[in-house]
Amino acid sequence: MIKTVFNITIREWKRILSRPQLYVVLLIVPPVICFLYGFIYEKEFARDLPVAIWDESNSPLSRQFTFMLEETESIHITRQVHSAVELKQLMERGEIQAGIHFPKRMDDDIKSRRTVYITLYTNTSMVVTGKLIYKDAAKVLITAGSGVILQKFVKTGMAEDKAMALVQPIRLTTYFLYNAQYNYMKYLVPGLIAMGLQMIILMVTVIVINEEEKDGTIGELKVMAKGAASNIMIGKGLAYLGASWLHYLLATCIVYPFFAQGQIGGSVSLFILFNLLIIACISIGMMISILVSDVMVACDLGVFYTSPAFVFSGFTFPRWGMPWYDQFYAWIMPFAPFVDGFFKVFFMELPLKYLHHEMGVLLLYTIIAFPIGLFVLQHKLNKLSLQHV
Amino acid sequence: MFNTFRNIIKVFLREIKLVGTDHSLLLTLLLAPVFYAFFYGSIYKFKVEEKVLLAVADDDKSELSRTFVSELNKMQIASVVGATSLQDAKEKMYYGDCQGFLYIPSGLEKKVLGLQQADIVLAVNAARFLPSSELAGAVTTLALTVGAGVRLKYNEMQGYNTQMAMQETQPVNLDYRPVFNSRSSYGAFLLPGLLALILQQTLLIGLAESVALDKERGLIPSVIQLAGGSFSAALWGKGLFYLLLYGCYTLFFLNVNYSILEIPFRGHVGDVAFVFFLFFLTLIPLGVWLGTIIPNQLMAAQIMVFSTYPVFLIAGYAWPYEALPVFMQGLSSLIPTTPFMKVYISIVQMGGTLSDNVEAIIHLIMLCGLYALLAIWGIRRLNKNQQSLSL
Repeated sequence: MIKTVFNITIREWKRILSRPQLYVVLLIVPPVICFLYGFIYEKEFARDLPVAIWDESNSPLSRQFTFMLEETESIHITRQVHSAVELKQLMERGEIQAGIHFPKRMDDDIKSRRTVYITLYTNTSMVVTGKLIYKDAAKVLITAGSGVILQKFVKTGMAEDKAMALVQPIRLTTYFLYNAQYNYMKYLVPGLIAMGLQMIILMVTVIVINEEEKDGTIGELKVMAKGAASNIMIGKGLAYLGASWLHYLLATCIVYPFFAQGQIGGSVSLFILFNLLIIACISIGMMISILVSDVMVACDLGVFYTSPAFVFSGFTFPRWGMPWYDQFYAWIMPFAPFVDGFFKVFFMELPLKYLHHEMGVLLLYTIIAFPIGLFVLQHKLNKLSLQHV
Repeated sequence: MFNTFRNIIKVFLREIKLVGTDHSLLLTLLLAPVFYAFFYGSIYKFKVEEKVLLAVADDDKSELSRTFVSELNKMQIASVVGATSLQDAKEKMYYGDCQGFLYIPSGLEKKVLGLQQADIVLAVNAARFLPSSELAGAVTTLALTVGAGVRLKYNEMQGYNTQMAMQETQPVNLDYRPVFNSRSSYGAFLLPGLLALILQQTLLIGLAESVALDKERGLIPSVIQLAGGSFSAALWGKGLFYLLLYGCYTLFFLNVNYSILEIPFRGHVGDVAFVFFLFFLTLIPLGVWLGTIIPNQLMAAQIMVFSTYPVFLIAGYAWPYEALPVFMQGLSSLIPTTPFMKVYISIVQMGGTLSDNVEAIIHLIMLCGLYALLAIWGIRRLNKNQQSLSL
């Protein structure tokens, strides 16, 4: 049996290397998408976003606040405006991403105990840039506001530590674990590449059996497999698992370390999790390929099934924020449990004991899809023998 | 002129027949856009994520700490999960039962009442962007509010009346006004672009598949013959079907999907209609050209499906165009999605007009010209090759 399986694996590799629909997707697309995703986020953060200042105060304090804002990573003061209308027009034309307004007589109002409001306008139709600017501007303006309070208390003769305790009675220390700087490259690139790699395996395995039927080579394959569907599925599956190991090496030895500050070679936990995902994808892909004889329809099913994987997996927008039917759909795809596990092994670098649930769920896809494929393929092979007789 | 028009109609009718008889084209062009629009759209139905789980280990167990936790739990963004200790809170995060933890050490209330600064620690799992940033923002706001409350009480004890005490509590305030997406929601940001991307990708996949199918079957010369020997009539005859079909989809999406998903529409209908028309006029020759260079229908579907995410990511929508490396900016400028998204989002989300986006419109027109030339060149090359083969 081992020799038979080995022969089928070798035969499949020959098919992979001779058929453009297999080698293009399996060997050319992976490096292209890996490097493309890596280079998109080469700059890691969105820096120096254009921001306008509407300074009606024109005072030392407003100039100091402006200077502090300019010092932040995301804000770059590019314009001075003189009205809310002008500010809005510049946003509509995409010339600025945000605007900050210092009101008239700001310094005098602070001194004469009148509450002052500094207004921050952000163009949140672009939510990424809007949030980055808000985060930096809020930090500066809250710190500046606290400084004003502190000075007021100190001026009354209060000791500085007591004044500080009043400015900030509860000091909150926040730790942003696993990606402290909200680095987009470190966050998105590994996930996008993992999604791409599972998609590649699924897109090729949906055509591995039905193409044999279409080309009339299924009989030859049956003879080689000694009539056993299991030999065909395991032999072909091993060929694609081998190809996925090449993808794994590409991702973890070149792309993740170079673009996403990942460990060279990943980790044992990551390799195990990745294999479970790929085996699930191979099982599902082959099952579709066995059930759907029309190659193009099988390919379309592969597209429909796998292309929403990233969005539904909860990688960017959490699954618990989705309606129940979308959460259910997410679980139909093995990428969803993989993503949960991926966060743990890749970003949090946790050992396998925290991944039992995700690994169990990933195994389920294979446990369900593989026997279905096996049963139907064996039935087809038996029918073929009868026809032959 | 009349003959050209008649030839375009002939190719158009042939395209309807082709799509009607091919299962794959039917699925891609008639089922996928509607299915994807409702399915993808529904993910962001609630627009913002709510009740993100946060473990709290409260070693102080005082009235103040309990009030703090209770106020935190009342916030829309957070849902508190009890933890017996700091270690328990960490374990909960490791198992994925929460997205971070808050640790309140003992002595918090005592320190605050004694006018000493007290510390609390928040750790969030920043590997998950959205929930962690929302949680951190919410807990910071709460800590600042509690701080303001303490100062208010202190100022009142100093003999200020309530109004003066309030003014002294927070002399400088930040008034945050998110423009064009008042809740700063991910859903409201992503949905308009997502709907346009669904239209773009299904059109490109379908059209590239259709041309690749004709190529595979050696039917390009017969299409040219039907078009009266004119390559441009062949291009626009095929394209007319997609222009009309996707025009209908646009109308449907802008009316039905925008209304169901409660996406605000701030611009003028005429402006949006114009920019979509121009967008499809650019996508059609691009799809035809791609079809001429891809060997067969199967590979057209296989290759095109991998373009969806990269195109979306380099179009300057999900990630700022300025933040792309220079060569990626060059690549981004070559795809119609980049200028289209700029105009479309400006009109739909910000209430802009065509005159606010002249540069992007000229960019789109130039791409339309470029791809029309490439498509005609591709058809001509295929026609020549297939004619010589038949000879």
